Amino acid sequence: MHVDHDHTGVPHEHHEHPHEHAHTHEHTHDGVTHTHEHVHEHTHDHEHPHTHDHIHADGTEHNHSHGCAGECGSCQTQCEHTPREELMALMKYMVGHNAAHAKELADLAAKLDQTGDHTAYEQVMAAVSDFEKGNMRLSVVLTSMEHE
Amino acid sequence: MCLSTVYKNKLTPEAVMMKNVMRIECRDGVVILTDLMERQMAVEGTLEMANLVDGVAVVKEAAV
Repeated sequence: MHVDHDHTGVPHEHHEHPHEHAHTHEHTHDGVTHTHEHVHEHTHDHEHPHTHDHIHADGTEHNHSHGCAGECGSCQTQCEHTPREELMALMKYMVGHNAAHAKELADLAAKLDQTGDHTAYEQVMAAVSDFEKGNMRLSVVLTSMEHE
Repeated sequence: MCLSTVYKNKLTPEAVMMKNVMRIECRDGVVILTDLMERQMAVEGTLEMANLVDGVAVVKEAAV
């Protein structure tokens, strides 16, 4: 038994043996949340209960408690993500992120207007509009990827 | 609010620990990084620097 701090997963002691345990998942699909349990054998080298959340490429989140190392790569369940899923998750994040920035810029424009610089306000708002159009393009691509 | 790249000890390409980091926690001398896919990495040490404009952070690994 040893303490391992430099790997994926929070620090913990671990030991090696095959083991089996219940696995609870909470999923949200189209706004409907449900939980189910199943049991499977793990052969990786430790057992410590913990909970962690996952954001899937489709934007759904779930958390589950189980005895893995918190390392998705070691888990043989659906927690594994393909490179495409990761790219889509990143893209989804960026679309949301861009929308937040667009709102910040619109707020900034409104403050410019309050200072009396209406020309700057109009120019920034035009830029916001262009920005939102670009983000809409990204959103459309993402949606089509999700339906492939 | 942007995702960051976290480096170990120095800001060089070969020192990248994790990309797309969305959360950094410092607990009991351990820095825990979580990326967009909720993968976690923990290293004994301290958060030396975080530049939120450039989206980079450096973790100073504790001496062994």
